Amino acid sequence: MLAYIVRRVWQMVPTLFGVMLLLFVLFNWVGGDPSYILAGKNLSAEALAGIRQQLGLDLPLPQQFLIFVKQVLTLDFGTSWSTQQPVSTLLHSRIGPSLLLTGSILLLGTVLAIGIAALVAYLRGSLTDRLVTLIATCAMSVSALVYIIAGQYWLAFKGGWFPIMGWSDSTLDNLLHYLPLPLLLGVIVGLAPDIRFYRSCFVEELGHDYVRTARAKGLSEPVIMLKHVLRNAMIPVVTSLMMSLPYLMMGAMLLETFFGIPGMGKEVVMAVERSDFPVIKAITIYIALATMLFNLLTDIIYKLIDPRVQLH
Amino acid sequence: MNPHALLATLAALALLPAQAADMNKVLRVALNAPETGFDPAKVSDLYSSTVTENIFDPLVTYDYLARPAKLIPNTVSALPAISADGKVYTFRLKPGIYFAADPAFKGKKRELTAADYAYSIKRHLDPAIHSPWSFLVDGRFVGGNELVKAAGKGALNYDAPLDGIRVLDKYTLQLTLTETNFNFLPILAMPAFGAVAREVIEANRDNTNAHPVGTGPYLLKEWKPGSRIVLEANPGFRKLVFNATPGNDPVDKAVVQALQGKTLPQVGRIEISVIEEEQPLWLSFLNRQLDISGIPQVALQNALVIDPKNPLKVRLAEQYARQGIQLQRQLLPEITFHFFNMQDPVVGGDSKDRIALRRAIAMSFPVSEAIAGIRRGQAVPMNYIVPAGVAGHNPAFRGAPKYDPAAANALLDRFGYRIGSDGYRTRPDGKPLSIELACGTSSTDKQWNEYWQKTFDTLKIRLGFRQGKWNELSKANHQGKLQMWGMAWGADYPDGENFMQLLYGKNAGDSNAADFKNADYDRLFEASLKLPHGPARNKLYDAMNKIAVAQQPWIFGDIRMRSTLAHRHVKGLKLHPLLGTSWRYLDLQK
Repeated sequence: MLAYIVRRVWQMVPTLFGVMLLLFVLFNWVGGDPSYILAGKNLSAEALAGIRQQLGLDLPLPQQFLIFVKQVLTLDFGTSWSTQQPVSTLLHSRIGPSLLLTGSILLLGTVLAIGIAALVAYLRGSLTDRLVTLIATCAMSVSALVYIIAGQYWLAFKGGWFPIMGWSDSTLDNLLHYLPLPLLLGVIVGLAPDIRFYRSCFVEELGHDYVRTARAKGLSEPVIMLKHVLRNAMIPVVTSLMMSLPYLMMGAMLLETFFGIPGMGKEVVMAVERSDFPVIKAITIYIALATMLFNLLTDIIYKLIDPRVQLH
Repeated sequence: MNPHALLATLAALALLPAQAADMNKVLRVALNAPETGFDPAKVSDLYSSTVTENIFDPLVTYDYLARPAKLIPNTVSALPAISADGKVYTFRLKPGIYFAADPAFKGKKRELTAADYAYSIKRHLDPAIHSPWSFLVDGRFVGGNELVKAAGKGALNYDAPLDGIRVLDKYTLQLTLTETNFNFLPILAMPAFGAVAREVIEANRDNTNAHPVGTGPYLLKEWKPGSRIVLEANPGFRKLVFNATPGNDPVDKAVVQALQGKTLPQVGRIEISVIEEEQPLWLSFLNRQLDISGIPQVALQNALVIDPKNPLKVRLAEQYARQGIQLQRQLLPEITFHFFNMQDPVVGGDSKDRIALRRAIAMSFPVSEAIAGIRRGQAVPMNYIVPAGVAGHNPAFRGAPKYDPAAANALLDRFGYRIGSDGYRTRPDGKPLSIELACGTSSTDKQWNEYWQKTFDTLKIRLGFRQGKWNELSKANHQGKLQMWGMAWGADYPDGENFMQLLYGKNAGDSNAADFKNADYDRLFEASLKLPHGPARNKLYDAMNKIAVAQQPWIFGDIRMRSTLAHRHVKGLKLHPLLGTSWRYLDLQK
C-alpha cells in the first residue's frame, strides 16, 4: 500500500507540471492583458509599459514560467494584481464561506439522495418509483438559475422566511439565518441528478445473485439493504463524492453571487474578469492538487470498502 | 433653483473634533460592482472612489446643493488665489485638521499640512505607482517632467525640490503650472487628490490599498474585497455644521429641514455590500435590507410610471409612493458614443467617400429607438461632446444627424458604394465592403447588436461582430485592429476640457480611442486650454464640435438618466453630479 501511495504521489509531479503549463499557455493566449484594466483611463503607451513591467509581463515567457514554478513550489502566489491583497489572505477569507455552503449542500444532498434513491430502488417499478423518477427528470431540465431566482423571490421576499441575502462573521449566525435558503436551493438543484444516479447504482446491486441468496437465507430486507446492498453500491457513490470534493473549494458561483456569500465562486469570477493571474494561478493549482489527492484517497477507500480491489 | 441663494456653506465653527455621529445609525447601501482598493493614487474605478471620497479630503469640494456643480473650499480657508496668467494656484489650509489615528503616527495626533498635499499630488507623478490619474498631472507642473525623468522606472524622489509643487509654509501650498490653465481647480476636487500621510503610506508600502487613512468624515473599519466594506465615523473629524439657505426646490428644502444646524456626519456606520445581480439588489431594497438603491433595469417598469409620450416624465409607482419611498433622478454627466478607427483603410481617413460612409452609418442608427428599447426611455440622445451639467455644454447644438436611412442610402450611392449582385454594397474601388464592430459579451451588448445589425442591413453593408472582454478589445484598438467600438466617458471633473480632449490628436492611442487627428481641432483645443470657462471658450468648443460633426469620427450615442430610491427614514438625500455619494450629509430618522 505504501509503495502504491509513494508511486501515485510521484506521478502527481508531471501531472501538476502539465496543469501549470496548460494554465500558463491559456492565460497568455486568451487570459487578457491586465495592464489595460489597471491603467484605468490612462492608456498611454508609457503607462501600459510601466504596468507590464511592474507585473513582470515584460519578462521573456520562459522566465515568467520559472517564476510560476517557484510560486507553486513555495505555495506563495504573491499579491492580487487588481487589489494588491496577498493571494493567500484573499483565499483564506473566501474558503470558509464556500466550504460551509458547498460542504453543507454536499452533506445534506448526499444523505437525502442516497435515502430516496435506496427507497425508490427498493420499490422499483412501483408508482412511487415512477413518480420520483418523473419528478427528478423534470427537475433536472430546469436551470439552476431558475431555482435560485424563484426561491429568492418566493421564499425570501414574498414569504419572508429567510433574509434576501447576506453573510455574517459569526458561523452560528450564518447557519441560523443566512445559510438555510442557499443551502435549500443548492440541495434542490443537485438532488434530482443524484437521486437518478444513486438509484441506478442500487438497482444494479439489487439485481445481483448475492441479494437473492441473502433473501433465500431468510435475511430481513433492512439487513439486505443496509448491510449488503448499500455497502456494494457505495463504490460508485464514493467515486462520485470524492470527485466532487475538490470542487467544494470552487464554491457555488451563482448561489454566492445571488446571496452575497463572500466565497471562492465570486473570487474566481472577479479574477477572470480582471485577468488577475496570481489569483487564477493559486485557485487552479490548489484545485489540481486537491483533485489528485482526493483521487488517491478514493482508491484507498475502494480498498477499504472492498478488499477484493487490488491497488497496482 | 438659484444657486446663489442655495449656497450651502459648511462652516467650520470650531476646529476641535466633535463627534456628532450616532453609532446606532447604520446606513446600508450597495455597490453594483466590486471595488479594487482605497489608495487614491492607485484606484480609478467608480466603486472604489465612492469609498475614498468619504475617507480622504481634497483641497476643494462641491457645494452639496448648488446646481450646476459649484466648487467650495474643503480643507482650505478659501478658494485659492490664481495668478493673472492662470499658472500659479496658492492654497491656504485651515489649521487644526487631523488625520484619523493610525499606528504609523505612534500615538500622536497628526495634523494635516501643505506638505501632505504636495506629497499626495506627487504620488500621481511617481512612475513606481502607475497612477491611473497621472494623465491629469503629467507635464502640468513646472519641473515635473524633469523629476519624473530623473526617477526613470524607479520611485520618485519626493524630497527633491519641485518648483511646480511648493510648500511655502506649514499651511500654504503653491502649485505652478507649465501652461495657463484657469480650469485646473476641479481636478483637485477629485477624491484621487485627497491628502494621504506619508508615514502611513510608507508603513504600509506593500498594501496601501487596504490602509486608507485620511482626514475625511469616515474611516475604513472592515474590508472584504468584492463583498463587504464597513465605514465608521471618524471620531477625530473636524466640526462641520450644515448651514444652507434653500430656494424653491422641494428637495433642497427637505435637505435643509433635515440637516440645518446639525454637525456632520450624522450616520455613525455605513455598511456597503457588493451586489452585482439585479434581483437581490432590488429585493434587498424593497425588503429594507438596503436604505438606498438605484433601480435595476428589469425593475424600471415596476418601479416607475413612465409617460409613454415623454419617457423622461416619470413618477414613482403608487405602491412604493405609499411607503414613503423617495425618488430622485439625474442626468449623468457622461456621454456614450461609437467611434470609427480613423486610421482604418475602410472606415477611417478624411476623403469624401469615407466621410460619407461614416455619415451614412450615423444617419441610419436609430438612437431614439434604441433608447426606448434598451434604456426603457431613460436616456436622451447625445448632441454635443460636452454633456449637460459640465462647463462648456451647449444645449442648442444638434450634433447628431437626423435619422434618415433613405438619405443615407442615397449618400452611399452618390459616393460610389454600389450594391453588388449579392445584394451588399462594395467599396468605391469595387472591393468588398465589410465592417467589424467590437462589442462586449453581456446581454445588453447583444441588444445593442440587434440595432446595429438592423442599421447595417438597412444600408446593405455586411457587418461582423468581434466579441471580447474590455481589456482585450482595448488592446486590439491600441494596435489599430478594430474598426468600430462603443465607449462611455463619465466626467472626472465638470469641465469641458475633460471631454473635448477625447478627440485631441496628441491623445491618439490614449483617451482619443478613434485616433482622430485634425489640425484645426487640435489648434482650437490648445487655444481653449488657455481660456477660462465662458463665451470665448464656448465659441471654440462649438467650432470643435462642428469639426467632429463634419468628420464624423464618432456616432453620438446617449446620456443616461440615473434614478435613485431611498426609504422614508433617509433624510438629507440629494443626488450630486460629481460627488459619488451623499453619505456624509444623510441622517436616518426611524
